[in-house]
Amino acid sequence: MEQPDAIIHQPLRLKIMAALKGLPRGERLEFMRLRAILNATEGNLGAHLGTLETAGYIKVEKDFNGKKPRTRVSLTDAGTHAYAEYVVFLRAILDDEGSPAPIGVATHAD
Amino acid sequence: MTLSPNEAADALRDIAAIETRSHRLYGYRQGSSHLILWGVLWAIGYGLTEPWPQQGRAIWSALVAIGLVGGFVIVLRSHARVANRTGAKPRIYWRFPAIALTGFAFIFAGIAVMGPVSGRQIGAFIPLVVAAGYAVMGFWLGLRFTIAGAVLAALTLAGFFLLPTHFSPWMAVVGGGTLILSGFWLRRA
Repeated sequence: MEQPDAIIHQPLRLKIMAALKGLPRGERLEFMRLRAILNATEGNLGAHLGTLETAGYIKVEKDFNGKKPRTRVSLTDAGTHAYAEYVVFLRAILDDEGSPAPIGVATHAD
Repeated sequence: MTLSPNEAADALRDIAAIETRSHRLYGYRQGSSHLILWGVLWAIGYGLTEPWPQQGRAIWSALVAIGLVGGFVIVLRSHARVANRTGAKPRIYWRFPAIALTGFAFIFAGIAVMGPVSGRQIGAFIPLVVAAGYAVMGFWLGLRFTIAGAVLAALTLAGFFLLPTHFSPWMAVVGGGTLILSGFWLRRA
């Protein structure tokens, strides 16, 4: 079996991808709303968004809503594909539940 | 690092729950603008038909037209925003007009079958149909729609039976107000 995507494998990043996947294609989610959905701290969420953006999985857009700064995040096509692949990977683990050893996952720096 | 079947199952459960929550909040946000729009129109409509009951048909015809056009604009703007960003082809937006047409056809057919009916009965029947619509929508889109529909229905019935002589002002303030507050409540979810 192939190794899973190390970027998405990190739990909070996986949850970020899931939250964005819950939107219709092309829709954006505000940072504060995303933070509320995931119950994450601002700094932690910001760092993981940076990693996902660098990987090309999400698009981060910053602008002003009136005088208030606003950050909005959306899933890219590459991110959609990577997330779908990761879900297939997770399901495959359950399908292979009878196999003797758990599936190995590549170590990565968070 | 390894991933056991239990961990995989937990991860799948977590992401399914998050996708559902995110989708529900998106639906709330989309629905909120419509509720606020119709809340304002109801407040105006019931407010104006109290002093000018003879002009009720003209007032409501104009307000319903504004509401339908406004609702269509909300839907179009939302789709256009996404289409601009993704480069997707323009879609045919048939659902909103189809839902509106079905709803109004049902309401007018119901009134025709049950007639003759008073202005107060029509003024209660339409909000009850709308409330039922929101309540049913909530079974798919999230509990807040169901709660908004239930509250709207309860307040409409309360006004109809307990305040028959002040029904229009009641619906202007309480009916319209319920829709507006529900819209903001959905937006804040």
